[in-house]
Amino acid sequence: MSRRRPKPQLLPAALLAAAALYAAFLLRQALLPFLLAFSVAYVVNPVIDAVEARGARRFHVVLGFYLLAAAAAFVLAQYLLPLAAAEASHLRSLTPAYFAKAQQLAADLHVGAARRLARSGLPFEKLSAQALASAAEQLRLLPSYLLGLFPLISLLFLVPFITFFLLLDGRQLVAALIQACPGRFVEAALHLLSEIDAALGNYLRGIVIVALAIAAASYAGLLLLGVNGALAIALLAGASSFVPYLGAIVGALVGGGAAFVQTGHVGAGLQVVALFAGIRLADEALLQPVIARRSVHLHPLVFLLALMAGGEAFGFVGLLFAVPAACVVKSLLKVGWEWYLSEARLGAGPAGRPAAPYT
Amino acid sequence: MGLSRWLKGLWSDPATSRKRAFLKSQELFKDLSFIELGQLAQCIHTRSYQEGEVLFAEGDIGRALFLLEQGRIDLAKSEPDGRRRTLYTAEPGDFFGEMALLEQLPRTATATATERSRVHLLYRSKLDSLRGARPRIGVVIMTHLAQMLSARLRHANSRLAQAAAPPPVA
Repeated sequence: MSRRRPKPQLLPAALLAAAALYAAFLLRQALLPFLLAFSVAYVVNPVIDAVEARGARRFHVVLGFYLLAAAAAFVLAQYLLPLAAAEASHLRSLTPAYFAKAQQLAADLHVGAARRLARSGLPFEKLSAQALASAAEQLRLLPSYLLGLFPLISLLFLVPFITFFLLLDGRQLVAALIQACPGRFVEAALHLLSEIDAALGNYLRGIVIVALAIAAASYAGLLLLGVNGALAIALLAGASSFVPYLGAIVGALVGGGAAFVQTGHVGAGLQVVALFAGIRLADEALLQPVIARRSVHLHPLVFLLALMAGGEAFGFVGLLFAVPAACVVKSLLKVGWEWYLSEARLGAGPAGRPAAPYT
Repeated sequence: MGLSRWLKGLWSDPATSRKRAFLKSQELFKDLSFIELGQLAQCIHTRSYQEGEVLFAEGDIGRALFLLEQGRIDLAKSEPDGRRRTLYTAEPGDFFGEMALLEQLPRTATATATERSRVHLLYRSKLDSLRGARPRIGVVIMTHLAQMLSARLRHANSRLAQAAAPPPVA
């Protein structure tokens, strides 16, 4: 078979990708609601599709879903949110006691450590004061960290609005993209879209399942352990788990601290830490194999690098979207490489395998 | 009657209904239920091609089945002397490129629209994921595909046999 096509040029594609990445970095604030809406649409879309396949008009299905979601939000606002707020308020009221306990613990440690370090000749008093000052400074800044999340509240209104149109017209957008693609490359474009779709969809739906499972398991576990503010801590752990591994860590720290303050025993805090370690292990053993089976596999080092790079470049939002972005990049590279091989070595075919004459 | 049709029109999308009806008319999908056809329709991409536009070229890796709803598509093969020989002209209701659903090998013919055409593409990995989620759809499609391939093989065998038979003695 004769070669009729020029060798594919990778450099322009790489430059284009770099330019797109830089543009995304510059527009990161504006892109945030779209990214969140895109993620929500990915998670919700199978439900909409399932109803639409039964013959309903998509507009009606999406509208019906929004009405149901609004009703669910109303029920949450009426019953669950006041409960969670009361629990959060209770936890806040325990904060001075928490600090007192922490100071007591630090003082106990101080005595023991001072004895040991006095013998070593290190300036223990100075080191201890510096450490405490640094910790106090970080604690003082904690409210400002939390206030920094308040702009996200505006997203509560913007994201559903954008999601509505993505759910309604998302398929038309893809169709327009396919129509704009040169005829010869439609199959390659579909290949790319399909890879990205599978990688992103499975990851995003998987992480929602993980978040719900962590929230439910930690709520049940904290109730069994008799920890006050179980619902608020469970919601916090569930929400934090959208950043990989963070949910169990946040749950263990906040829940363990709350249990320690409540009972005055370190053992109670350690029980909560053990609970979250168990939840994390169960997630790894039971959920991740099912989720990872249908998702793009990332090497742990790539996973870590993606998280660090995402956090460095885009802050908290970068942490949220680092793994999906890495999945997309991996899909792009995979499809690009396959395309390069098929274009560059076309006609060679696998050794010993006959090319059947078909269309 | 008019009211029920009006209400039905309000509830269902005419474009989706047309796509579903077209899929139902295809041999490959004839045993699928109403809901299964709806699920399949969501996995199919539709594209219009202008006259002279190439759908795929000889040597391209095949990854999709093409279902022709409107227009006309020429399937042609390049001869060693450089001339192009038309193997088949697909007409509305025909499908081609079906082997891409089974394996990804280079196409052995070039498909070109000879008039403005409307084509539905069933992409292989979409069918794979649909088959995982809804195994019956995959079984139905693959069964019909196997039956068609078997029929074509029988036809090719009989043509080979005819070609190999000695000429009748006068």
